[in-house]
Amino acid sequence: MYNTKMRISTLLLLIVATATFFTAGCKKDEKKTEEELITKVAVHLTGVGTGFDQEFTAEDPEGDGIWNVIPSVDIPANTVFNVHIHVYDGDTEINGEIQEENKDHLFVYQVTGANLTVSDLTLDDDGQPFGLDSKWTTGAASTGTLQIKLHHEPTDKNAADPGGEIDFEVTFPVKVQ
Amino acid sequence: MLPSKAVFTAFCLLSAVVGKAQDCHLALRGHVTEADTKEPLAYATVFVKEISKGISTDENGFFSLANLCENTPYTVEISHIACAHFTQILRLTENAEVNFQLVHNAGIKEVVIREKAVVLTATQAESTVEKADLEASKGLNLGETLKKLPGVTLLTSGATVAKPVIQGLHSNRIAIVADGVVLQSQQWGSDHAPEIDPFTADHITVVKGAAGVRYGVGAMAGAVVLEPAPLRETPGMNGWATLGGFSNGGGGVASGSVDWRPKRGSLVFRLQGTAKRSGNLRAPDYWLGNTGAAELNFSAMADWRHGRWQHTLSTTQFGQQFGILRAAHTGSVSDLEAAIVSTTPRNNLNYSTYVIDRPKQQVQHNVLKYKLLYRINDVWKFSGQYNFQYNQRREYDRGRKSIAESDKAQVTFQLWSNTLDVALEHLPIRHWQGGIGAQAIQQLNYVSKGGYIPDYRALGGSLWATERWRRYPVPWEFEVGLRYDYRWNHVTTTGNGSNNLDKNLSFGNVSGTTGVIYRFSPTLSAKLNTGYAWRPPHVNELFAKGIHHGAGTYEEGNPNLRSEKAWNTNATLDWATDRLNLVLTVYRNQVQDFIYLNQPRDSVVLTVRGPFPAYFYQQNDAVLQGLDASFSGNIAPGLAVEGRASLLRGHRLTSATGSSQEAKHHDWLPLMPTDRYQYGLRWMAKGKRKSNETFIRLLATTVILQSRIPEEGLTKPAPPTFTTLGLDAAHTFWLGKNRLEVGLNVQNLTNVRYREYLDLFRFYADMPGVNVGLRAKLTFGN
Repeated sequence: MYNTKMRISTLLLLIVATATFFTAGCKKDEKKTEEELITKVAVHLTGVGTGFDQEFTAEDPEGDGIWNVIPSVDIPANTVFNVHIHVYDGDTEINGEIQEENKDHLFVYQVTGANLTVSDLTLDDDGQPFGLDSKWTTGAASTGTLQIKLHHEPTDKNAADPGGEIDFEVTFPVKVQ
Repeated sequence: MLPSKAVFTAFCLLSAVVGKAQDCHLALRGHVTEADTKEPLAYATVFVKEISKGISTDENGFFSLANLCENTPYTVEISHIACAHFTQILRLTENAEVNFQLVHNAGIKEVVIREKAVVLTATQAESTVEKADLEASKGLNLGETLKKLPGVTLLTSGATVAKPVIQGLHSNRIAIVADGVVLQSQQWGSDHAPEIDPFTADHITVVKGAAGVRYGVGAMAGAVVLEPAPLRETPGMNGWATLGGFSNGGGGVASGSVDWRPKRGSLVFRLQGTAKRSGNLRAPDYWLGNTGAAELNFSAMADWRHGRWQHTLSTTQFGQQFGILRAAHTGSVSDLEAAIVSTTPRNNLNYSTYVIDRPKQQVQHNVLKYKLLYRINDVWKFSGQYNFQYNQRREYDRGRKSIAESDKAQVTFQLWSNTLDVALEHLPIRHWQGGIGAQAIQQLNYVSKGGYIPDYRALGGSLWATERWRRYPVPWEFEVGLRYDYRWNHVTTTGNGSNNLDKNLSFGNVSGTTGVIYRFSPTLSAKLNTGYAWRPPHVNELFAKGIHHGAGTYEEGNPNLRSEKAWNTNATLDWATDRLNLVLTVYRNQVQDFIYLNQPRDSVVLTVRGPFPAYFYQQNDAVLQGLDASFSGNIAPGLAVEGRASLLRGHRLTSATGSSQEAKHHDWLPLMPTDRYQYGLRWMAKGKRKSNETFIRLLATTVILQSRIPEEGLTKPAPPTFTTLGLDAAHTFWLGKNRLEVGLNVQNLTNVRYREYLDLFRFYADMPGVNVGLRAKLTFGN
């Protein structure tokens, strides 16, 4: 003969036990997930001794990870510029965070073709290259490209290939005129 | 005088093996009652002449006898002080439960218990994981457990994530079935391993070929079927506990299971759990940074029999967190090129640690299942099953400190599935056995911002029917099955960057299977199966758009994809004698509109992070054909030679530019398994007691260089041919009534440096080096 009471109570216990497993899963995940997106990179050039003050912005307004707009950087020849980079995540400028973690970040500039030299990269808290600000010097009229890369957690800042992850990589067409 | 009467109740204990040499693993469970009063006869004496075994029934009149041989007459003599002597001759073809009703002056009559096997041999090619292999790989993931079977390879992302590949196909084309529940998860992902704890399985079978009629649209190329051990029959408690350790990664695993059947009533419970933890793995020359893993699983089952009804309720919880090789977290073409050229992994954390850092993934899978079985009568039975599954997968990527410290995932996938199955099945009616059934499924998929696949809501319905003709001793056996599936999807995006989507899609198709088995003799049989199966394109193949961080690629779907339809034919020869065992399968799978991911030569997309290799989903007709073989032969007492081979050729009909106007030509399919061979020696010694065995196996695996490369070329040349060596040893001790099995499992014994073609991380690092695993399994209880 079976014990009805025991059977029912055991079954109930099992149902309750399984129900508790699913209280965690049953509701849609309300937590907002953080997305680290770089959607805009603005290069601000200020001429030294000249009135030149312009900003060139590469943008990914949809946040789908593909650059929409990469303007041509048209700058006067034989001039020295102080250059500052602005990095945006949506509407928020994240320069502050990057500056705070300057030891973990490195801006790498690479010029091809144009008469343009990038120098005097700012240093991080350890005295290693950082490069949020730099000095650009143009020579004679020419065209080419300038690639700016932001390395995150580079393994060796002074190596030819600093390593780490690339947070952004943008290649601007350059016209020195 | 009433003739003796025996009531038969078929008790299928999931161990039917048909078509091999004399099977002596049948069980007889008997219930002895008094014919008039129906009262159970406790402490009646049961004597079986043929095996000289005498036992007595317990206080409820039950007894059980194991290891009886198929089709052998056994004279069962039952006597009880209150009743007269009773004799019955039985011949079993199946595990059976028999009621013995003691009456006076019973005449002796030989009774053959008719074949009531519910578990039939599939007409399709099938491979079962041998018990020894199953035990040896406990503690490793499901993929590692299946790796030794011919025709099965792995698609891996490093060593931690392994997906089974059956005859060249994987992900959405293979159903993973655990205890009758088809796993519903984000299985489309090449870096999403099945969320299954192999410790819950006592028996694992890989069904090769179109298994759509049995398992639905997700089983176009086969299924991996895991079955738990049957619940205990007699009152009492029993179970097992395993403890294991692995040298590579300093990993440990603990798992245990307990079955409990209370004295009164017909309830039985099972409780099972597993915990695993491991740190960074080590390749022969360096540590594989950030490859630690942690896992915690739990399952519970309750079964209640009441007259003609049987209710089963079960729940499982799977939770896993694992690191993704730090060196693989690159992606832009320049990073990839640097990684390919480098001999050691870039950005590698070359030390041992248990810390699981970003990038990492966290998976949780819950299953709740209720199954109902109602025996309408001796021939018909009705079954209904409802299962609820929740799958949550979080992908954590590296980022600035503010992101890392927030402990938030970059992408979260959530999938809720409700499935209802009903079936009406019948035991042989004029030698035809089969049934009809229906399935309804409802799914809800949410992807957080950042995921590159859309949300969707899905509804599906299916109808199926199968029949099998089997008549002992005719050597032929036929099977035919038909199924219709319908799927409807409502796909939307929540502004994750791709075009705003709001689409309704519906797909419907018929699938079928037909097969035949012919037994030449008790040792030689052949089977032929041909099946037509299909699957609708999945949302990732249609609408993916963005960077797949886990793979370091940019992927784009094609909204115009049609359903895949496949004709899969396989033929198997099975020869098993006392000294020799040979299984040979040849197959040809013709897939119309085969969907695959391909990178047009050197195509890249300029993303914010730099140029990424760009992959696009495309569709071409394809043919996959090959051969799987396994062989073992005794060369001396206890010593056997073993060998296995898996060969596959995958072609596609493609045009140079992918346009439909151009004439098509033959080319190779990308990412197809290479030829592999396994060969070795096995030594087995039986001890004094029946299951007291010592077993040692040395098996070498040779994987050939993949020379069949698609015309687009490869990002990195295919890895060279390599051979690894594995050693397995086990010994069983007896501690009183309890059994202790101690085992040793060594992978990559010679610490060879190698990479696999189907490893998505082969651009970055080698596979792990030598791994010595020790385990102890204690089986306790009565």
